[in-house]
Amino acid sequence: MPRTRNDILQGTLALLVLKCLDARGRMHGYAITSHIQRVSAELLRVEEGSLYPALHRMEQDGWVRASWGTTEKNRQARFYELTPAGQRQLAAEQESWGRLTEGVRRVLRYA
Amino acid sequence: MSWIRRVTNVFRPERLSRDIQREMDFHLEERTDDLVAAGASPESARREAVRRLGHSTTQRERARDMDIAAALDAFVSDVRYAFRALSRTPGYTIVAVLSLALGIGANTAIFSVVDAVMLRSLPVRNPEQLARILLGGADALTNPMWEQLRDAQSAFGQALAFGQHGFSVTTAGESRPLDGDWVSGDYFRVLGVGAAVGRAIDRADDWRGCPAIAMLSYAYWQSDFGGRPDVIGRSLVLDSHPFQVVGVAAEGFDGVEVGAPSRVFVPLCAEAVSRGKGSSLDRRSTWWLTLIARPAAGTTLAQLNARLATLSPRVLAAAAPQSLTAARQKEFLAMQFKAEPAPTGTSSVRTHYGHALYVLLGAVGLVLLIACVNVANLLLARAAAREHELAIRSALGAGRSRLVRQLLTESAVLAALGALLGLVLARLTTSALAALLASIGRRVTLVVHLDGRILAFTLGITLLTGLLFGLAPAWRSALVNPRASLTSNPRQMSGGQSRFTAAKLLVAAQVALLLPLLVGAGLMMATLRNLTRLDPGFQADGVVLMAVDAQHAQTLAKSRRASAYEDILARIRALPGVSSASASDITPIGTSSWNDFVAVDGYSPRSLDDSLANFNEISSDYFGTIRTRVLLGRDFSPGDRLGAPPAVIVNEALVRKFFRGQNPIGRVLRVGETTASAPPMQVVGVVEDAKYGSLRDPAPPTAYIALAQDSAADTGFNFEIRTTGGVNGIRAAALAAVHQVNSSLDVSFSSFEDQVSRSLGVERLLARLSTIFGALALGLAMIGLYGVMSYNVVRRRGEIGIRLALGASRAGVRRLVMRDVARVVLLGLAIGFVAVLYASRALKSAVYGLAPNDPVTIAVAIVALVSVAAIAGYLPARRASRGDPMLALRQE
Repeated sequence: MPRTRNDILQGTLALLVLKCLDARGRMHGYAITSHIQRVSAELLRVEEGSLYPALHRMEQDGWVRASWGTTEKNRQARFYELTPAGQRQLAAEQESWGRLTEGVRRVLRYA
Repeated sequence: MSWIRRVTNVFRPERLSRDIQREMDFHLEERTDDLVAAGASPESARREAVRRLGHSTTQRERARDMDIAAALDAFVSDVRYAFRALSRTPGYTIVAVLSLALGIGANTAIFSVVDAVMLRSLPVRNPEQLARILLGGADALTNPMWEQLRDAQSAFGQALAFGQHGFSVTTAGESRPLDGDWVSGDYFRVLGVGAAVGRAIDRADDWRGCPAIAMLSYAYWQSDFGGRPDVIGRSLVLDSHPFQVVGVAAEGFDGVEVGAPSRVFVPLCAEAVSRGKGSSLDRRSTWWLTLIARPAAGTTLAQLNARLATLSPRVLAAAAPQSLTAARQKEFLAMQFKAEPAPTGTSSVRTHYGHALYVLLGAVGLVLLIACVNVANLLLARAAAREHELAIRSALGAGRSRLVRQLLTESAVLAALGALLGLVLARLTTSALAALLASIGRRVTLVVHLDGRILAFTLGITLLTGLLFGLAPAWRSALVNPRASLTSNPRQMSGGQSRFTAAKLLVAAQVALLLPLLVGAGLMMATLRNLTRLDPGFQADGVVLMAVDAQHAQTLAKSRRASAYEDILARIRALPGVSSASASDITPIGTSSWNDFVAVDGYSPRSLDDSLANFNEISSDYFGTIRTRVLLGRDFSPGDRLGAPPAVIVNEALVRKFFRGQNPIGRVLRVGETTASAPPMQVVGVVEDAKYGSLRDPAPPTAYIALAQDSAADTGFNFEIRTTGGVNGIRAAALAAVHQVNSSLDVSFSSFEDQVSRSLGVERLLARLSTIFGALALGLAMIGLYGVMSYNVVRRRGEIGIRLALGASRAGVRRLVMRDVARVVLLGLAIGFVAVLYASRALKSAVYGLAPNDPVTIAVAIVALVSVAAIAGYLPARRASRGDPMLALRQE
């Protein structure tokens, strides 16, 4: 079930993580941070301290599914992938983000 | 299904922590690798990786913050926070906790008595199946009826009978009273009660001519035999006859009658052993047995009643009293047995106190509501004072539910503290309450203790009260608009502009709840006063009652009893300090009564009951001793002897009813079930109406016959002794006088005044307790009013300062505040008044000598309430008017 959160930062982080998983499929936490950083051209840097709590919360909300796997470097890592509930949540968050930016854009332009 | 995962997280915190740790480790390794690849040294890369991730323990804890253990943690911290917040304002907390403790304690205490008397099921197998068998509404039946029903019980199920009896038990030459039951052979089997030691009485023990055996109650076995198993086979001397003890009943079982625990159980057939020729086993008009049925499985009450109805004609025909006239015989045979559910046993205590107990439960319920309102008000005031704090927390992102939860936790902590203290209060008062019940009126032994049921009740009302007083303020606080609260100076906010704030409405509600309580207390006090001040038609003060029992005086023949009583009377009259004395079968306002049918020429009764009159058998000077005036004719004289024409004295009520108010002197009255053949009695005197069995009931038509003309006086007789020294002044001399006549007569003394006063037990109980609860509620409500007004005055200090600075007089300021008080109290009174008009109907049967909506009582209650409210309101008003306006203004 999609949710809206008051906390913009947290909500945004969830949106970014969901989008990454949607675009790239199965990823571990470290890959998510690096991917966000790279795709945003270093503009966004994920606060590493809040990533894992956010991932666990999303797992508990049923948006992502986690399982242990092996990386190319043969290390044990926890991989996350999107669930159908996560798909829906992503759509909802994308829409509310769109509304927010549109609102802010309009204010900046016409206010 | 995220909650499932949260729940499972609780059960595997270890694994969860390990998982998180491993994930963190992986992250650190990856980050370190990247930093090294970018040219950092391995050590500094590691340090930087750790710094970026943050402390690993906090990480783990933050990740775990979503499981239930953490929610519990949050609750614990809420509770801790609540305790801190409450201890910061000790005055507020003490008032709140004490209010709740008094309310909850009073409710628990009254409920525990209600539970013991009214609600608790008997400790027997499937008590809900038990049904009591009545005949024409009468709850006592005869043994011939029981034997008929017993032999026909296969038609409806199983049945048992028991008769209560005050045994006298003799140990080491000393006799003491011992409550017990005559029980039918199936008693224990039908109830499903076994024996703790030995065996239970069974069917094989109950046959005519059976040997004398007895079973003890567990409590009696413990208290008087130390729980020793060798009591089995021993002999117990009951009513001067040895009974062999065969067993001890299961623990907790005290018989079926609640309020009068049975200590000993004896087979019904053994009644003949104890009473000999006086046995009631074959008497068709001695009504002494209670019948309980356990219908066959699957039989409904309606089916049971249908079967009893079919059985009734046959049973009644076989058990009809022989002496009935044809008309009465027909009426008797037309009656039907009826069953009514009796899962909680039988109880005369219940009949006498039931209504009073529910009235009291209602009263303490009101007290608790008033206490709740008080706490709600205090919470509201606090919440208002904390509006600023809550607004900040809300602005910082605390969710509404989070704030409500915090405030509700505070309420819960308050309620819990109140409940704990309330339980202590209840524990201290229940035994006193049971003792109060026992000391007034009938002999009552109640097992009142705080068990699981009572605790469940307390927990229930505590939760309810916590929600009641906590929810409204919590919700209101959560609705706080952070911007409005933050932008304004908290001191400038003055809620006083609105005429009725939530707090004032709550105080009005308290007043509305209080008025019915005060009116109720007033009605109970007025009732008690009316009953104690009425003229009962006799003067009880200064009279000692001496009861003489000839049951164990085997040598005293029935025909010689009357002369023995006259002999005793003559000796008593000769004692120093005795101004007059008399003897009577029945004493007014006592526990026994006697009625019989009378026939008077010219009076045709509408029904059988319409020809009933009450009776008493008296010696000469009975009226002189208890000071009942003889209005016409004469008292009994020495001439009224056996052999002389039977004389009768009647009261005014009898003259009004049977003689149509005409002078009855010299006219004839016939007495008995077969009045046609009864000897005519000549009316020789008329006395004023005197109360007979109860002060409440008007004096019934009463006929007095002469003791000296009775050839078979009762085994128990009473003597009225008018003396100045009281019971103790006369006891020894009177006892000696009795024993000079016959040394085996049992004698007991009491004060006539006490006997009359004891009959007002329920009234006294209601008057005392409702006054206590009324005062309690008044105090609580006034604390509420005072608190709200004081708080209002503080909030309006600025406004009042300006008014004073602009030239308002101090009296004007006082009027301003008092007007507020008046508005609140008036609103409450208006609602309360309507409530009184409706609720007082419940007291209709409890009041005496005034209507339940007695205007004087209501007016007095209103005046009392208003004057106390005026004081509670005046104190803050005076404080408001005394303030220095400059001081108040500078603080803004």
